[in-house]
Amino acid sequence: MLPIDAAAHSSRWRRRHPVEKAALGFGLTLSAVCLPPWPGALLVAAATLAVLLGPAGVPGRQLWRAFRIPLGFCVTGAVPLLFAVGGSGGPVAWAPDGPVHAGELLLRTASASLGVLLFAFTTPLSDVLPRLVRAGVPAPVVDVALVMYRIVFLLLDAQSKVRQAQAARLGATTRAAVWRSMAGLGATSFVRAFDRAQRLQTGLAGRGYDGTLRVLLPEAPVSRPFLAATGGLLAGLVALTLVLERLLP
Amino acid sequence: MHIAEGYLPPVHAAAWGVASAPFVVHGVRALTREVRANPESTLLLGASGAFTFVLSALKLPSVTGSCSHPTGTGLGAILFRPPIMAVLGTITLLFQALLLAHGGLTTLGANAFSMAIVGPWAGYGTYLLFRRFGAPLMVGVFFGAFVADLSTYCVTSVQLALAFPDPGSGVAGSLAKFGGIFAVTQIPLAVSEGLLTVLVMRLLTQSSKGELLRLGVLARPQAAERREEAAA
Repeated sequence: MLPIDAAAHSSRWRRRHPVEKAALGFGLTLSAVCLPPWPGALLVAAATLAVLLGPAGVPGRQLWRAFRIPLGFCVTGAVPLLFAVGGSGGPVAWAPDGPVHAGELLLRTASASLGVLLFAFTTPLSDVLPRLVRAGVPAPVVDVALVMYRIVFLLLDAQSKVRQAQAARLGATTRAAVWRSMAGLGATSFVRAFDRAQRLQTGLAGRGYDGTLRVLLPEAPVSRPFLAATGGLLAGLVALTLVLERLLP
Repeated sequence: MHIAEGYLPPVHAAAWGVASAPFVVHGVRALTREVRANPESTLLLGASGAFTFVLSALKLPSVTGSCSHPTGTGLGAILFRPPIMAVLGTITLLFQALLLAHGGLTTLGANAFSMAIVGPWAGYGTYLLFRRFGAPLMVGVFFGAFVADLSTYCVTSVQLALAFPDPGSGVAGSLAKFGGIFAVTQIPLAVSEGLLTVLVMRLLTQSSKGELLRLGVLARPQAAERREEAAA
């Protein structure tokens, strides 16, 4: 399994309704994107971290391992804003407000990424996908996504084993060997994906498959106090940002 | 390169979402029609989507010495056609955002536009063009994958340039800046993805001829068609 999905399956908030966690996680993400980065995104990031490490019970090390990937993209994405091209300063020069813009962008992206991670670390996709039909997503699309979700882990597992086998047979010693191994890996994934689909088809046909994948979901009532607390937190963050924006330089 | 979560200003994020919506809705309709007509294709499409997802997990050796991953949009479009790829690509991007923290939800529309819409359509168009002019399958596959990869990154550069115009030279300068950064890595990577796709397709023509015939990538031999018609 992928680390984020494994953490989501054993999360303290696993049994909470996905709507509650979506309201909190995506609400924080939207706040990070829409509020002024200073001090809004910083406050949102602090609140999200507090929820992640506190009530949601996400281990700090796991969170850091997942967060450093988007953080790396945020840092590399902010670097181009430091430079200006073709202006009065020459072909390439320092942008006048470059560090400020880069810092604001870094705050916004890091803070927004934490909001999505809050949802991802507490909600397995297998809890979300079947409920999307009620949200208006056509059932065939949800079924395809469900099959994708089931097969992805099997293929990633197979891919890792094939890669180990290729390495053991000197498949990564030269550049040409790496290319051959990569092509073999891609083709094997294709063959295994279709083979798995055919076997699933045979198995489901034997169980009276009529084109609909029915999945049992555990009962999870939507908690009004949780939604109220989420609303309160988001409103508090917006209010505090607007107040601090006037007071801070 | 996916645009990271929160990278685009809210108006841009919403605008790219709106721009992607008609293509995704068209793809959803095509997929729904296909599944209603052939219920068993749910599994085949799910397998195709999973294949697209794991393809992006392959580490591709880059000419510059670093590693990257293929976008998979060219191969996906050649195998499954662009409308289906718009849906599968969007689901893949959603999975990547939630399972790998790669890309984002507010930038899903922008990423879908470049990777699930423009990339597949440009790649498939190039592939068809080469095939119509009688080019061999592998030549069409190479240029299809090359153009799909490159067009994806060109659109990403435009998206970034529109969001962050250069203070001195505006959108044009910003486009040159982001395009210049991508060109160093992406032109070699586009060539690499083209070559890898040819190698994968060559192996598939040997090991999965049945699937390629069913997907319409390989033409059924006329003699076999005549035999089937006679049997019918």
